[in-house]
Amino acid sequence: MAVIEVINVEKTYNESQIKVTALKNINLTIEAGEFTAIVGPSGSGKTTLLNLLGGLDKPTSGRIRVGDVWVDTLKGSKLINFRLHHIGFVFQSYNLIPVLSAGENVELIMQLQGVPAAERRKIAYSLLEKVGLADRYKSKPSQLSGGQQQRVAVARALASKPNFILADEPTANLDGKSAENLLQMMELLNKDDGVTFIFSTHDQRVVNRAHRVVVLEDGVIKES
Amino acid sequence: MLISLSWRNIWRNKTRSMIVVAAIAVGLFGGVMAVGILNGWINQRVHDSIYNEIAHVQIHNPEYLLNEETNLYINNTNEILAVTDTMKDVKGVSARIRLFCMAQSDRATTGMVVMGINPTEEEKVSQIYRKIIAGEYVDTTHQIPSIVIGSKAAEVLKLINYRITTEKMDTLLEQKLPEQIVDSVKLLIDKSYRKKSALLKDIKSILSKSNFQKYADRLASVFSEYRLNKSLVLTIQSSNGELHYQLFKVRGIYQTSNSQFDAANAFVDRSVLAKMAGLKPNQVHQVAIICNDMDKAQSVSNELAKLFPTVSVRSWKQTSPEIALYAQFGDFMGLIYVVIILFALAFGIINTMMMSVLERIKELGMLMAIGMNKVKVFIMIMLESVMLSLTGGVVGMGLSAVILAILGHTGIDFSAWSEGFAALGFSSVVYPSIGIIDYIEITVLVVLTGIISSLWPARRALKLNPIEALREE
Repeated sequence: MAVIEVINVEKTYNESQIKVTALKNINLTIEAGEFTAIVGPSGSGKTTLLNLLGGLDKPTSGRIRVGDVWVDTLKGSKLINFRLHHIGFVFQSYNLIPVLSAGENVELIMQLQGVPAAERRKIAYSLLEKVGLADRYKSKPSQLSGGQQQRVAVARALASKPNFILADEPTANLDGKSAENLLQMMELLNKDDGVTFIFSTHDQRVVNRAHRVVVLEDGVIKES
Repeated sequence: MLISLSWRNIWRNKTRSMIVVAAIAVGLFGGVMAVGILNGWINQRVHDSIYNEIAHVQIHNPEYLLNEETNLYINNTNEILAVTDTMKDVKGVSARIRLFCMAQSDRATTGMVVMGINPTEEEKVSQIYRKIIAGEYVDTTHQIPSIVIGSKAAEVLKLINYRITTEKMDTLLEQKLPEQIVDSVKLLIDKSYRKKSALLKDIKSILSKSNFQKYADRLASVFSEYRLNKSLVLTIQSSNGELHYQLFKVRGIYQTSNSQFDAANAFVDRSVLAKMAGLKPNQVHQVAIICNDMDKAQSVSNELAKLFPTVSVRSWKQTSPEIALYAQFGDFMGLIYVVIILFALAFGIINTMMMSVLERIKELGMLMAIGMNKVKVFIMIMLESVMLSLTGGVVGMGLSAVILAILGHTGIDFSAWSEGFAALGFSSVVYPSIGIIDYIEITVLVVLTGIISSLWPARRALKLNPIEALREE
């Protein structure tokens, strides 16, 4: 069964009583283990699609299935709980909690899931080891470079054992070398552990490494 | 981790949080000090009322309370005393003859209440024997019977002279009066006065207005000399309605914190007064009881009332409802101060928390996006507010506890207003005190303030849409 199935999704916004269609007739299936980039110019609907896949927004029409759950039907705490247990998020500006150490940032999501302290410490350490930052467990985000912070964000996203990771422009704030290192690491996670990655990106390096590229233009999938 | 996260969030902006903590600490310090001083005054007033004036329980002939006549004595004193002697909660009992009299000295006359007491019994009930400032307590061995009067009565009866001597200058220095004041009053050495007003007039002419207000009463007190062993004639109405008089020698002067009491109450040997009033040894007007514990007063009173239905038995709360009111509402009034202070501080906390939330909109959006539910977001912000309040509270209360511990020993001297305080029955030196219950109550109020102050900022956070919040720059 596909990890994600998007069926005839349309998303419109009413801005100052003007109807703006962000996504039209989107049909998309993503299988487990894919390394997919969603590309397109600004305003093409990449972030809107990512928000819908992540359960942060609801489609105006159409259906979205993640695993065996129809996400578009979930509301309130069920939806929040679903995001907590099934979806990993990586943001453009890392969004780590500055007062927590790298390890605690990774632990945070497991704490929200109710994982016991000793277990989550062990998992957080192994995840930081996986992203090459085990020795920075106690470092605060301000003591890490941008690339390192984004690696911690990836570890945090993995901590919830999600069905897939949604990464919104993950390399946009990184220099060339850091971006390259991050992509290598993600590719490794995808290859070795079968982690499904879905990126929204402008970055050609991400597109070059992606196994599949979904091209969006004016809210319509032009190429998949 | 939520607790740890909240705690760390507070200190993201150290300066801002420290300002709020300091504001809470200073506000609570003021509040706790006010509560402590209020408690100190009330405790002193209640204590002095009970141990100098009204005791825990009073027994009277019910008719005596309506019309304080000499012949309205308690009929069954012996039975009552036999029972009180066996009651485990009773610490001391004093049977008193209590009469209105006219007191006449060589210079003045005044009306007062004379209490006929057995000094040994009375010492277990009243602390007047510890309040003697000149002479001695009631002594039953003199041929001409002794009378002990209050300092205010001595003033009214003109049994005080004011004499300024070189030795008294040393006393002033011992009492730590400024040398400048002592030097000024040295001009009056070897002068003596029969009236306080004359002394004060001279003091006023040599001191500045502020120094006069501050030190005049203390100077007068040091310069005063009680005219002990002077005669005082008491005239009373005996039990058969006739007027009787008796010569006493003023052999002791007492001074309590209540100048009205001091002006109106004198103590003599009970057997002398009984003879004078035509009463038998067991015919007394009042049986005053002190219990082992203040809280036992009501149960002892109830028990005695049940056993002796023909007499009036009243606990201190019934004898002196205004004192009971002080005791009851003292804490309440103190808490009102604290509530008002915390109410004002809450606005500062709300402001800080609101700024803290607005600065973290993106972060809160991220937390909501990854799966932190609204309850946890609310708890996190509430914990931040409560911790911020509690930190200020602990600092403020800790500081107050230290200062109160010191002032509880040294006292705070309000001597400049001593006459006013004494007229109301309060000591001019207050020993602030605050109980553990007060600290617990204040802590609860601080926590409540923190919770209430978090509501608005938390509501703002809960209304965030994660998508919009994540877009914030």
